[in-house]
Amino acid sequence: MTEKILAKKNLVVRHSALELIEHWAIAISGLVLLFTGIFELPVAKRYYIITVPGLGWSADFITSLYLHYAAALVFTAVGVFHLIYHGLLGEKGLLPQKGDFAKSITVIKSFIGLCKEPPMHKYLPEQRLAYVGMAFIILMLILSGLVKTYKNIYAPDMSHTVLLWATWIHNIFFLLFFLSFLAHMAAIALRPNWPMVRCIFTGKVRLDYARHRHALWLAELEPAQPVCAAASTDTTLPETCSGLAAEPMPAPAPETHPAAVETSQEEIWPPKA
Amino acid sequence: MKQKKAFNISRRSFLKISAGAAALAGVPLPKTASARTEEQLSTLIDLNLCDGCVDRKVPACVSACKAINKDKIPQVVKNIPEPWPRKTIEDWSKKQEVTNRLTPYNFIYVHNAQIDGKTIFAPRRCMHCDNPACATICPFSANSKKKNGAVVIDQDLCFGGAKCKDVCPWEIPQRQSGVGIYLHVLPGFMGNGVMYKCDLCNERLKEGKLPGCVEACPRQALLIGERKAIEKIADERARAMNGFIYGKTENGGTSTLYVSPVSFEQINKTMEKKPGQPDMKPDVVRKMATTDPLGKAVLAAPLLGLAAAGVAGAHNWFTRRKKLVKKEEENND
Repeated sequence: MTEKILAKKNLVVRHSALELIEHWAIAISGLVLLFTGIFELPVAKRYYIITVPGLGWSADFITSLYLHYAAALVFTAVGVFHLIYHGLLGEKGLLPQKGDFAKSITVIKSFIGLCKEPPMHKYLPEQRLAYVGMAFIILMLILSGLVKTYKNIYAPDMSHTVLLWATWIHNIFFLLFFLSFLAHMAAIALRPNWPMVRCIFTGKVRLDYARHRHALWLAELEPAQPVCAAASTDTTLPETCSGLAAEPMPAPAPETHPAAVETSQEEIWPPKA
Repeated sequence: MKQKKAFNISRRSFLKISAGAAALAGVPLPKTASARTEEQLSTLIDLNLCDGCVDRKVPACVSACKAINKDKIPQVVKNIPEPWPRKTIEDWSKKQEVTNRLTPYNFIYVHNAQIDGKTIFAPRRCMHCDNPACATICPFSANSKKKNGAVVIDQDLCFGGAKCKDVCPWEIPQRQSGVGIYLHVLPGFMGNGVMYKCDLCNERLKEGKLPGCVEACPRQALLIGERKAIEKIADERARAMNGFIYGKTENGGTSTLYVSPVSFEQINKTMEKKPGQPDMKPDVVRKMATTDPLGKAVLAAPLLGLAAAGVAGAHNWFTRRKKLVKKEEENND
């Protein structure tokens, strides 16, 4: 558990170095897979991609396959690592919770000013839903990709039915992966999410932002502190959000949270000039 | 009458070859005709026997192949969609009679090589490779290798991107634009027809029949049989004529073995690689083989991830435990 409040720096550690490595390994290898996957279609010559400086190799299917394999090695190993490692630690923060769909709609409405955002945990409800969606897409891509790789090396005469299933699952989920990537980028483009962007590079978010937006998470990290002043003052929400934003804030946890152990009183209060 | 006789001889020779070689090699014979779709077959093309059917207008193998596949390609649309942005259209529908090269309407042709005053005739068609990149790398799996060794393009699934042609060392598959599934998807932007090539008469093999070219050859220059049997015959014939074999190791091995009294280097020198007219370069390497080690690493990647998770999980557990013990000790103090 690396979550930690660095009050002096007005920061909260949201992700460990390992989580950042996992994210970027999946992201970079995923992008390489996406592009080399496109180049495995006969498009590079037809669409003159080969004339783009530095992309002369894009019509060479063997080179593309080599790069595709190299990226798949990282993608698959890190994907399995992520699933097993965080599963072993029992981390469930990114798994969807009851009511996440309705909450996501509320958050989306809040982006266009229809209502106030409800206080949120470490992850937004739509982040949790997107995570499961993306995880499923990645799982299907990995499984179908492994079947195709096995066929390439050991079983070129594999059952055509099995091969067609693997191929079309791979192709359809490749498309879904591309759309998910675009949706991920679109989420980053939304202004309320901007403070989270630095987090995926540094692992840290601003403390004031976290207090304002991730009140439920901060409540877990700051058991002794009054919960989320900003969010808790929002008592007059439009009706569209009633029942969601007005969700009662949890009482401070009576027991000491493991993460809070690492937070010294000095770091929290009093503020130093 | 002659054709009929040739058919009978070929059929008998198939069984004879299989029986003889099976007895020698201890390989069981297929019990039923349909077993030929499962057992691995090979074809032998003996250039010492092939005379190019000089007495005919069109070689018998070519005629037979054309006759069998004459209705294979559906009616080509009147206005073939112009692909964008590269506007390549390949339409052979008005040149169906062409027999001196591979086309979507002609899956086999006979090359005529003049070497030291002697003429060598080399029927050329798909080699049906052991690990065919054309099939394994097809993005829609429209091209697939069957258990019997035949490499078959499903024309209902093919978009005609010609990737199979690009990765084939002999550039065998040929495209016909204006037919196929791409017409119903995004004809201007994706696909450009259907790729066609020899499928070893796979449907005929399923029915217990011989491929058209094998059946029609009046000199039995083409034979098909159980793979080991054909390999054995090829070795014996090559030894007997102090000759050469092509197709055994080329592109990682193929289901087509050429036997020739003249070296394939010499034959290749008479061949200028042109569209629809493949060369016969010896020792052609299987390019995809270079990616196999990395592919094997990909197959091992789940285990790698699992092992790393185990190590990291154990490290995490020990670290936590250490902290907990330290804290307890501090509390006790």
